[in-house]
Amino acid sequence: MAIEPNNETLIARYLLGELPEEQQVEIEDRAFQDKDYLASITAVENDLIDEYVRNELSETDRRKFEDRFLASAERRKRVEFAKALTRIVPEYAFKQKTALAPPAVSWRESLEAFFRSLNPVAKFAMAAVILLVLVGGAWLVTETLRLRSQFTTLQAENQSRQNERQALEQQVELQRRRNEELAARLNEEKQQREQSDESLRQLSETRDATSPPARPVVASLTLLPGISRGAGDKPTLALTSDARLVRLQIGVEPEEQYKSFAVDLRTVAGQRIWNRENLTARNRGGARAIGLTLPATVLKPGEYELSLRGVTEGGRSEDVGFYYFNVNKK
Amino acid sequence: MITPRQKWTLNQEAFDKLLLALGGDRDSGSQKYLEIRTNLTRFFEWRGCSFPEDHADETINRMAKKVAEGEEILNHSGYAMGVARLLLLEIIKSRQREQSALNEMENRGEAYVDSDDGESRLTCLRNCLQSLSAENRDLILQYYQGEKSEKIRNRKKLMERLGIPVNTLRMRALRLRERLQGCVEECVGRA
Repeated sequence: MAIEPNNETLIARYLLGELPEEQQVEIEDRAFQDKDYLASITAVENDLIDEYVRNELSETDRRKFEDRFLASAERRKRVEFAKALTRIVPEYAFKQKTALAPPAVSWRESLEAFFRSLNPVAKFAMAAVILLVLVGGAWLVTETLRLRSQFTTLQAENQSRQNERQALEQQVELQRRRNEELAARLNEEKQQREQSDESLRQLSETRDATSPPARPVVASLTLLPGISRGAGDKPTLALTSDARLVRLQIGVEPEEQYKSFAVDLRTVAGQRIWNRENLTARNRGGARAIGLTLPATVLKPGEYELSLRGVTEGGRSEDVGFYYFNVNKK
Repeated sequence: MITPRQKWTLNQEAFDKLLLALGGDRDSGSQKYLEIRTNLTRFFEWRGCSFPEDHADETINRMAKKVAEGEEILNHSGYAMGVARLLLLEIIKSRQREQSALNEMENRGEAYVDSDDGESRLTCLRNCLQSLSAENRDLILQYYQGEKSEKIRNRKKLMERLGIPVNTLRMRALRLRERLQGCVEECVGRA
């Protein structure tokens, strides 16, 4: 059903809320029975929105529009869209005008007119020239494509070489860092050993200065894996009053292959009293064990838990086992 | 937004009954339901309500209640419009009761603030226009080009060029505009 211009005005008045109730009902009833009419209302609605965003509405209509159209979020979205469309349309109109600017006669028509104006000899010469240009052009295109392909291959090779060089540099850097790390660890172990030797030497001197030892100043205990906290046969370390150092031999299963080990010594109440990292397991008499030396003053009579952790090549720490022992003082 | 007077709420059984009453079977009932709901939303929008979709749902709820109570409705679309008009009266009365006209105006003024996503909307619209075919892009841009009389002249030229009547042109422009707006809203939502 075609919509008359006066109908458009009526619909616009309806949309602005200017019609009496009976007419509004008429329009609504018709809209929901006639899809074309419904579409017409939407089209008029769009035009009203466009006029609003272009400031083309009278002050009164503008107020009515705002009262009715800006009430719901859905319609506000339509207003936002109309604002964007109003800004975009002139941009495209300008592009279209620019595109239409060339003269009315097309290049093809001009070319045809030019050929028509030539005499037969000139036409033949022109055809020969065009043929030459076409053949030359084709050769040039082929040659350019070939060179471009070569250039692309060379670029790819160059890139591949660069990538290889970068990978090698990264490997060298990694190796250098690893060497530095190993040197630092070696140094640390050396210092620890020197400290232990010094402690032993001092103890030895003390012993020599007083009297020959009737009892050892280094108390030793071997801890084996697999002893639970609740086991009754937990090993006991007997500390004499003159014991200065405690040497713990922590047994490690052969399959526990780690870069290094770390130890945490805790009281039965969970209080950490000693810890040491970067320890290595050594084979002694057919068994693997980690030696740990600590001052005897650290240990008070009571029950202890020693947790052993292994550090993988990647630097990840994993639990290896827990060892329990008692300490008695004599 | 108006709150329902009754404690009655739509349940699955009542909704199934409504769909059957609307279309005889569930599929055609669903289609009719969507059509009625769209029309109701448009109606509340045209009448300047703030929450058209909520009011459309409330109207359908009231209709579903009647169907569940066994009331025989011959023309569901017309019945729904009747309920919607009664609901509209309730909304207007409620609005008048709750606030004076002046406050209403002030609140409206405050409620609408220009969204600050104008630039992203423009970018989205440019992209969405590019996704249209060249023919459709030209159509929508020329249809909405110009002001007042210039716009009318443009549309006449477009009708002549495409050889289609005004209503066909209007429908095409309308569909394209709806498609573009949907594309822009989706794009803005993603941004």
